[in-house]
Amino acid sequence: MTNLQPYLRPTSIEPALEALAEGKRTIIAGATDLFPSRGNLSTTIEPILDITAISELSGIQPEGNGWRIGALTTWADIGRSSLPPVFSGLCQAATQIGGIQIQNVATVVGNVCNASPAADGVPPLLTLDASIELRSTETTRVLPLNSFILGNRSTARRPDELVTALLIPKYSTTRESPSRDITPVGGFVKLGARAYLVISIVMVAAVAEIDSDGVIQAAKIAVGACSAVPKRLTQLEVDLVGTSLGKGHDALSRQITADHLKVLSPIDDVRASASYRLSVTPHMISQALLACHSE
Amino acid sequence: MQIDMTVNGRAYSADVEDRTLLVHYLRDHLGLTGTNVGCDTSSCGACTVHIDGQSVKSCTVLAAQVRGADITTIEGMANDEELHPMQEAFRQCHGLQCGYCTPGMVMAATSLLSENPDPSEQEVREGLEGNLCRCTGYHNIVKSVLSVAGGQS
Repeated sequence: MTNLQPYLRPTSIEPALEALAEGKRTIIAGATDLFPSRGNLSTTIEPILDITAISELSGIQPEGNGWRIGALTTWADIGRSSLPPVFSGLCQAATQIGGIQIQNVATVVGNVCNASPAADGVPPLLTLDASIELRSTETTRVLPLNSFILGNRSTARRPDELVTALLIPKYSTTRESPSRDITPVGGFVKLGARAYLVISIVMVAAVAEIDSDGVIQAAKIAVGACSAVPKRLTQLEVDLVGTSLGKGHDALSRQITADHLKVLSPIDDVRASASYRLSVTPHMISQALLACHSE
Repeated sequence: MQIDMTVNGRAYSADVEDRTLLVHYLRDHLGLTGTNVGCDTSSCGACTVHIDGQSVKSCTVLAAQVRGADITTIEGMANDEELHPMQEAFRQCHGLQCGYCTPGMVMAATSLLSENPDPSEQEVREGLEGNLCRCTGYHNIVKSVLSVAGGQS
């Protein structure tokens, strides 16, 4: 490891993969998570692979029936994109992460790879059924997001692999007998001590099919910062079908029970207590669903 | 490592350590000390510069990452003796108290107006969300930005 060239900035994928095959490196793009975790860099820095010059990793493109979000796609790119309404939750998250200077350089893939339990990007991506594309000199593999993130700051990426893209499949409904088309719409809400430049206490993303009467026909809900890895609430998703949003926020949040939240395991930390997190979560879910309806 | 970049319209080339942050390169190697280091944790925005026209916190970027890029710092805003309209507006509207956040505020504000030339007050406040003023003098900062936006249209 000591013989590795300390800083590499290749302009194409192949030399990047060869460098990773040669030895372990920290991969950076926006690098916004690197500095806070390394202090002031006053001593040394580990071997770095800077991927910002690899132009083939840029861009959001339709691919197959879905979308490909390249590893260099920044939050500002997502915020400015004209993705369909199912992506609204991801786009809303994009404008709430850090501040504008951070959104201009920080990448969506970096947010996922950093694997913070409070990563704002992960809940919306879970509601989009996102997968991760990993490449090495030997293989290309695709993992669903919920098997890619293993725990706090831990992912299934091998040291010789580079995450090259996020893959978002065409939306698939959870309705059993979809008789007519309803456009799925996404929503995202985040609770922090202030609006910006803050680590979330709880965030909720939703994708919902809401009919013209305001009744939920299908829903996908994910909660972040309440477990080591953000979670989908699958039982709640089933139970929400048939619920009218017209009954308002309070009634909607009361419908969400402790049982629905039992997959969550929040902790007490400097930002909030575990019990506070659990008590606000139903309200946040209700707001996320209402955000889907108002989009 | 050898790095080349353009700063305020002038080409620079230097040999720096890999771990050099852009803000330290600007301040310590080029002597451009107008860009302040406030928090060193990418929170406060005092170190905001433009990289290829976009506002970025220069304490969160390695100098090596912006090789070949076009950087603008607060020193590049004024034109000879004439202040940039945003600097003039901060002066006229008393948009600064201690002045520490001001270079970053000016850089963030000009970047905001290049994307949205006629923002509402709310949009200005949201656009400056990445910059903290330790004097809490936000009212006149927002007023300064709005006066330039109004003056331009």
